[in-house]
Amino acid sequence: MTAESYFRALLARAQDRMQELNSLDAALGDGDHGTTLVRGLTGAVAAGPGLRAKRFMRTSGGASGTLFGLVLHEIEGHLDHGAGLGAGLERALTRICELGEVRPGDKTMVDALAPAVAVLTGGGSLRAAVTAAAAGRDATRLLPARRGRAQYVEGGGVGHLDPGAVSLVMLIETLDAQVPE
Amino acid sequence: MKKLFNSAGTMVDDMIDGFVTAFPQVRRGVLDPRIVVRRRHRKNPDEKVTLLIGNGSGHEPIAMGFVGQGILDANVVGDVFAAPSADLILDGIREVTGKAGSILLISRHSGDVINGRAAAMLAAEDGLRVAPLLMYDDISSAPRDRRSDRRGAPGTMFIYKILGAAAEERQPLAELVTLGAAVRERTVTLAAAINPGISPLTGAPMFSLPEGEIYLGMGVHGEPGIGRMKAGPVRDLVETMVAHLLDDRPIAAGKRVAVIVNGMGGTTMMELLTVWSEVERALTARGLRPVAPMIGSYVTTQETAGFSISLLEPDTEMLRLWCAPSETPAFPRIEVMPEDRA
Repeated sequence: MTAESYFRALLARAQDRMQELNSLDAALGDGDHGTTLVRGLTGAVAAGPGLRAKRFMRTSGGASGTLFGLVLHEIEGHLDHGAGLGAGLERALTRICELGEVRPGDKTMVDALAPAVAVLTGGGSLRAAVTAAAAGRDATRLLPARRGRAQYVEGGGVGHLDPGAVSLVMLIETLDAQVPE
Repeated sequence: MKKLFNSAGTMVDDMIDGFVTAFPQVRRGVLDPRIVVRRRHRKNPDEKVTLLIGNGSGHEPIAMGFVGQGILDANVVGDVFAAPSADLILDGIREVTGKAGSILLISRHSGDVINGRAAAMLAAEDGLRVAPLLMYDDISSAPRDRRSDRRGAPGTMFIYKILGAAAEERQPLAELVTLGAAVRERTVTLAAAINPGISPLTGAPMFSLPEGEIYLGMGVHGEPGIGRMKAGPVRDLVETMVAHLLDDRPIAAGKRVAVIVNGMGGTTMMELLTVWSEVERALTARGLRPVAPMIGSYVTTQETAGFSISLLEPDTEMLRLWCAPSETPAFPRIEVMPEDRA
């Protein structure tokens, strides 16, 4: 898979699920997560080689554009130059935790990313990493938010999936060409 | 509320167009039109540390107005009240950096911190030498024992100017970072707002305040601070503010204190000079020596009425650099009396 085809496939998935992501976000935040993801990916698809994740940061905007952009930056490096995916995603995870001042269990994208990183750096397959990320995503339903806008929602958003964790799983499963769109 | 813009989509770029054609000290960046770069008397970036900052627009003249000789090498301009993206800040770094390295100033607001630090990480990954320097001085936004959680406020201008002057004299990166942190440790700011500004994005007032009340400790976007108090003579208000500032960071009698009285955009010079005279009186009454004041509207939030007081207890070197000449579109000449230099 090339970076170009990856970003195209991811944009198609995000477009299909835009309303779903917006609805999830509306329960916890300002309801635009799907829209900003699609906007950022539309920019990324139009950008040249090596610039796709950076263009995503610009067109998506805000802190979430930066944090998702850091994941996409590693995926782009993996697809463009064969950089190790596990090591790259681990670096993205470290950066996101540091910049966003979050850790696993805070009901964020990190809850899906951290288990995937653990699988990949432990020598597991991409398929196993996707499964682990999905389990982490599903577990966010029962967590109260400690960071982000969701922390101000009554009950910390318990009962709702974190939209960032949902889209993070999408970022990783799109790498597996065998997973149907 | 009427505002003089063409459209929401072009207001920032229209402003930058005006800025770069008005002032010979600056030009647009090559890598992106949202970068404003120093044009006159540029030094070799392999020899001089370059200084830059990214910030949301709507607060002019900061920070583009401080691009030029002796202060900033570049300013990366975000949308109205929104931090520029990490990749845009990275382009700003690329635009000016060299072997001597760069300092990326970051005024502590959440979007600016995340995007600025991410830009510094990406720059390091590309082999560039960039030190991020967080700036925070607003005593109303967190208690002293958690001061690294405080917001950036107009006292950050002490860091801009002192580091800019030191970089111009070819001080190396590590020393500049140490100097910047030392200035930060010696700076405190407190603001008071009287009337809200109008957001260019929504056309609506940015906060509300009952007639006859003043909000103490408001952030530069109308964020909450200490609380409301009854409006009265400015002497009482300034006395309260100076007491808060010196409670937070006491200064021994006989010491010099550099002062910034910053207007928020809707407060007249007549009022700001009155505020300064009261600050001068309040400090002198405590046996302190107020020196080298900067008075005017430099960090604004549209037409918000109000002001902030920033105090710096400078050492002799900091005071010299604070008063060193600079040539930028907006930074004033700061004067110190000969007897206050040492």
